[in-house]
Amino acid sequence: MESVQHDQPVSGNPDTINAGEHVFIKMPSDNVKCIVLKPNSNVSLGKFGTFKANDIIGRAWGNTYEIYDKDNKTRIYHLDEINEVEETKNNNREIIDDSSAQKLTLEDIRALKNEGLKGELTGEEIVNKLKESHSAFDKKTAYSQAKYLQKKGKKFHKIFTPIKPTTYFVNEYFYTKNPVKIRDIRMDTLSQLLSYSNVHSGCKILVVDDTQGMIVSALAERMGGQGTILGLYDGDNPHYDVVKYMNFNQEILDSIKVLSWLRIHRPADEKTPDELQDVTQLSGKDLEGYHRRVKAYKIVEESRQILFESNFDALIVASQYKPESILEKLLQYVRGSRPVIVYHPHKEALLETSTWMRRCPDLLAPQLTESWLRKSQVLPGRTHPEMSTWGSGGSLLSATKIINKPVQAALTKRERLAQEKRNAEAKKLKRTHGETEKAETVVITELITTTTTTTTTVSTQDSVGPPSAVPVVLEGDKETEDERLVKRVKQE
Amino acid sequence: MSESSIEKNVPVVKQSFARYKAHNIIEEGDLVVVYLSKENMVIIRVQDGEYFNCKFGTYKHADMIGLEYGTKLGSSTGRGFLYLLYPTPELWTLVLPHRTQILYIADISFVMNFLNLRPGMSMIESGTGSGSFSHSIARTLAPTGHLYTFEYHQERANAATKEFAQHELSDLITVECRDVCKDGFGLENMVDAVFLDLPAPWEAVASAKKAFKQDKIGKICTFSPCIEQISRTVTSLSENGFVDIQMYECLIRFNEIRVIPMWTIDEAMEKQRAIEKKRKRAVPREVSSKIKSARTEVSVDDSNTSSTVATPTSTAGLDSEESTSATMSLSTTEADVVPEPRERIDPQNITVTKLPMEQRGHTSYLMFATLPPALQRPSLAEQKANQGGN
Repeated sequence: MESVQHDQPVSGNPDTINAGEHVFIKMPSDNVKCIVLKPNSNVSLGKFGTFKANDIIGRAWGNTYEIYDKDNKTRIYHLDEINEVEETKNNNREIIDDSSAQKLTLEDIRALKNEGLKGELTGEEIVNKLKESHSAFDKKTAYSQAKYLQKKGKKFHKIFTPIKPTTYFVNEYFYTKNPVKIRDIRMDTLSQLLSYSNVHSGCKILVVDDTQGMIVSALAERMGGQGTILGLYDGDNPHYDVVKYMNFNQEILDSIKVLSWLRIHRPADEKTPDELQDVTQLSGKDLEGYHRRVKAYKIVEESRQILFESNFDALIVASQYKPESILEKLLQYVRGSRPVIVYHPHKEALLETSTWMRRCPDLLAPQLTESWLRKSQVLPGRTHPEMSTWGSGGSLLSATKIINKPVQAALTKRERLAQEKRNAEAKKLKRTHGETEKAETVVITELITTTTTTTTTVSTQDSVGPPSAVPVVLEGDKETEDERLVKRVKQE
Repeated sequence: MSESSIEKNVPVVKQSFARYKAHNIIEEGDLVVVYLSKENMVIIRVQDGEYFNCKFGTYKHADMIGLEYGTKLGSSTGRGFLYLLYPTPELWTLVLPHRTQILYIADISFVMNFLNLRPGMSMIESGTGSGSFSHSIARTLAPTGHLYTFEYHQERANAATKEFAQHELSDLITVECRDVCKDGFGLENMVDAVFLDLPAPWEAVASAKKAFKQDKIGKICTFSPCIEQISRTVTSLSENGFVDIQMYECLIRFNEIRVIPMWTIDEAMEKQRAIEKKRKRAVPREVSSKIKSARTEVSVDDSNTSSTVATPTSTAGLDSEESTSATMSLSTTEADVVPEPRERIDPQNITVTKLPMEQRGHTSYLMFATLPPALQRPSLAEQKANQGGN
């Protein structure tokens, strides 16, 4: 119950298409279909035909196949070279945009399509027929002709490309098909998250992932089974659905650990399986149940131990819940000089978190970024950005965990002199009244008010937080930054 | 997280950009990124007896030894402080000595994701340049992968070799001084991915094709700032059998976050009323004090309208102020039922973002292509047919 659920862990050659694994099939229409490849089965691609799974199992990734005869045989299809389009004198002055140009009727085309499905005609032959019976084809510009052939090819060619699930491809697939599932995280945003997190083989990462495991998958791929990912989840089970599409081997799957928010701290009434039942009295189904419980209990205990070692190399939060409420609880488990990253589909949701981070004594230099991505069509002589591009891809808020020790150095010279004066007075006061404790508190509170220029910099830590954290922020550098900015503005 | 958690009997592993240290403690000889501000970071090697000087003070290296990475350190003079950060490829990109134009995080991240870089892969990079991208690649391919990086400029190649050695990346990166456009890569059937940041990437495509592992899919990326370069590269890629050519541009936008006050117009009016009221109350007292100082009536009028010390103000300014006070006094009589107006009103603060006035508009075009496997492995159907034949 506590582990990630998988259909079947795979351990085949990562360079070849293996039976039982997830395969993404790209069709001429650019639509992508995701299947689990079962040996001896037939895979239907609708109007693009049907192929036999055995024909591609064992092959290397990266080929395109053509379904070519009545028995649904497949062969490797070599995509044409991209050729320069010859300029002609044609233009669209003579072209009347109506359906009369195509001499074939809808019924004729349907018949052609059926012949194609049966394997009696190839896609190329159908496209040629369409072209021949198009009265205005010769009047079209060369660019337009190329576009026409490409468009028709997308409808009638019976070719397909199996694609290996990688972080990028799976991300693109879900971002296109169902962005809500992965909380709108786009490929470029995810790539930046991976960079900022400095994830690598052997590191240990704490993650709160509500992108259905998109982030966990990306991290696991980059770690290659070395190191640990601990995912905190709420609800009955972790919903890391994306993980199962990645064809991870057992080693990588084992590097993903999970722990329920409810079980972080052992509840007072939690009993070990041994406390609940006497193993010597059990038999049959009861004994099986006992072993299951022991296993589940061990997994929880192991995850707790991983958490309480408090040596995480990154904290990544992509939760539907208020980010600062999570950071407050989890920052204490992260090492010094390590990245803390929050992802959210809505930038506005991160604004409060950002101001919270600025006040947090354990975080340095929070930075709110969003990414912009544009794809272009690239063909010789016909290169241009695509007409529609992606909108939002989500926002990242990243900072560095620091070990905050209050240092005298945070004071300016004037403040230091003032403090020395106050200390001297306090000593005097102490001598005269003997009210030791009171005098000291006065000095401390005064110190706080003098060292902080804005009201926001005094933050009293809420219940949870690293024991080393001192509830005084001495934001010397942050203020100098601001001051510098003000100066610059003034100069301008 | 404190010194108590130092694992005992950890084998001596040198600090590297490709991994963290098991105990996360700064030791003699370590590299540390000194953080002064976002724009001001310096990388230093910690050596007992050395000092780090900057405008925020003097810091003894000896004081850094034994501290956990990420610690805030005060200067010995007590006048400043800084943070001691662990060197990562991302920080290196910000502090490295520039020998050429370098790649930044948006492009680095996108290329690594698209090429599906992960531990154990081997890759070609050309040119090495300042080694910004090389660090990120090496970190991601570690511990079992390998990066072959090519640079035709002898001094840059030497500098990069030296840097990779200092950063404990030598076992992950091989630097070669070579003009790959003229002489090729000299590698065959070796790599999974190729990255070309060259003035004429099309000249290196044919040689790159040979370098790819022949029995599996290969991915190539070219990085060119000009659209004309893209046209020539596309042709070359296509001629050499690369397919699925795609082109992207990726930019990152850094938001500035500000908290700004938002008064309602009612609050603003209330404030104004309070000032008006105060001004009226202030008149008799000021008059009496001015009379005492034996000033003329004219100067008294001045001090009535201006709250600052009486300096002769322009008559135009006076007129306008008088006229506003007239209209305001009208509204105060209407609003007599309203409680005492407050002069100090805490507005509702809202948090806003602003993009910098100037930001990057273009870095380079990222063009990707796929090389299908040249050598074919038999499919399951073919294997079965062969078995049947035997």
